[in-house]
Amino acid sequence: MTAQKNNETLTASTAEATAKKSAAKGNDAKLKTRKLRTAVGAVGFVGLTAGLIAGVSTGTLSGFGWDTFSLLCPLGALGTMIATKTMLPRAVVSLLLIAALVLIFGRAFCSWLCPTMLIDRIRDFFRSPKKRRELAEKKNSEIKAISKQEIELLKGAKEGHACGACGKCQPKPHGKVDSRHAVLGGALLSTAIFGFPVFCLVCPVGLTFATVLLVWRAFSAGDATIGLILIPALLVVELVVLRKWCSNFCPLSALMNLVSRFSRTFVPVINDEKCLETAKATSCSKCAEVCEADINIRHPEFGLRTMADCTRCRNCVDVCPTKAITMPVFVGKKAGKTVVEIPDPVMDDELRPGLE
Amino acid sequence: MKEEKKAEPTMETVDAAEAKREPKGGITRRGLFIGVGSTVALLGLGGLRYAGHNPLNHPPGGQDEAHLVSACIRCERCYEACPRQAIVPAKIEDGLLGMRAPMLDFNTGNYCDFCYEENGGVPLCVQVCPTAALELPADAQVGNAETGETGNVIIGLAEIDPSTCLAYRLTGCRDCYDACNYGAIELKDEGGANPIPYVVEDRCNGCGACQAVCLSLSSGSIKSSERAIVVRPIEA
Repeated sequence: MTAQKNNETLTASTAEATAKKSAAKGNDAKLKTRKLRTAVGAVGFVGLTAGLIAGVSTGTLSGFGWDTFSLLCPLGALGTMIATKTMLPRAVVSLLLIAALVLIFGRAFCSWLCPTMLIDRIRDFFRSPKKRRELAEKKNSEIKAISKQEIELLKGAKEGHACGACGKCQPKPHGKVDSRHAVLGGALLSTAIFGFPVFCLVCPVGLTFATVLLVWRAFSAGDATIGLILIPALLVVELVVLRKWCSNFCPLSALMNLVSRFSRTFVPVINDEKCLETAKATSCSKCAEVCEADINIRHPEFGLRTMADCTRCRNCVDVCPTKAITMPVFVGKKAGKTVVEIPDPVMDDELRPGLE
Repeated sequence: MKEEKKAEPTMETVDAAEAKREPKGGITRRGLFIGVGSTVALLGLGGLRYAGHNPLNHPPGGQDEAHLVSACIRCERCYEACPRQAIVPAKIEDGLLGMRAPMLDFNTGNYCDFCYEENGGVPLCVQVCPTAALELPADAQVGNAETGETGNVIIGLAEIDPSTCLAYRLTGCRDCYDACNYGAIELKDEGGANPIPYVVEDRCNGCGACQAVCLSLSSGSIKSSERAIVVRPIEA
């Protein structure tokens, strides 16, 4: 009798474990665009490095182009002009081009082309399934807690709740500028003082290409250098030791953020009539769980970053169980849809006269 | 706690909410730490400007090393553009500041002909450089292999080491003499049994053709870290 009961509980717990496992796996399986993005990034990177090795003039992501045309890295373009104190027409043209692209596609570079995305993917691949599950569960419980609390508080709101309780009034982990902007400022300041593009020396995008070039040279020309160890080591420090490089450190992401915050195209939009949380008051927030830019789309106040940093990775669109999220070409204010606003801390304060 | 939240805002709840709020401007403590730390690190990195480094042979237009370092963003377009693959990234060993900036390596059998053959005398590296890090002065005259004019773009100066040069061992080697397009290498005792090459400095533009063909390390048993004829950068 007891044995049977034990058996039952055992099967129940394994069933629960498998359910959890499949939940974690389920997210991964649904992220179709992620596979496409990895492929695009990998093809781009392999293509450019092959060009670099074969001497086909295509440049790298730091200066993509052919012949006399170049689309320069915006930070490099700014850096070189500040360092040499000259206006370079080619640099200005590529700055404007990049600004236009960022205005349309936001930080799409980060999730579709940046080689650090590939390095991240490789890291994911080598994580043990156990570790992967642990990470997924941790994120899941964090996000779930927020959504449960918010749903609870919104229920309370109908009975008249205390202001200062729900998300709108919570301390925000983000503002208009953040640590990345400080890194950007530091990089440009150092460039201005010392007269050379300082960040280029440690830029992970450049270093990734440099690593491949060095490895190639080591094999083809027998050209060994300490750089073969130092450059990958620097990459590891930046992308692994310094946690959340893209959201917390990357000055390129900061620079793009300055333009992408005005982007109103291809931004994810939640249809509140379909969303589980608004339509059925069921805690879900899967969109926040899979966001690669640390945005909480459903409860923007709780994300590390705001919609200004959307990298158009489409993870949220893919993962949504009710297909409530879309990325329309132009985001207008349509009925029944929540345009996820970029919360303005100053405005919020003004809207809370009771707290001042 | 829940009760309190549902109640009308009293002074205490206001204070609690206010206390939880991050400092205005939205930068969190962690953010401030990252920002300040990174800025200090980047300023420290900037200090590399004053760290020593070995002078290197740079591609045409990169002779003003200070300007090259200021403008180069390591986009690697010049490496690709070089039709002879003579341009390689500078190594860390030669200085952190110039790391990955373009330099000319003549030891792989390649040399610079200022793209005379490939692009009619307009160096392709200069043409593609998007940040004008490689930029020829307005009055620049690059070496012309056809007419043998040296030009005024001087990458470096060839130097022969008599202790490793095969010709000094009376082998009759004159490969560098044959390779030079600008008449910058002449022979002592030309036509004699043992011609010995020497460099005519004002005709040498440092194209590296002599170093590229030098056999001293590949034939014979000479132990040295470099070839017997080497292009040395001109120190400003």
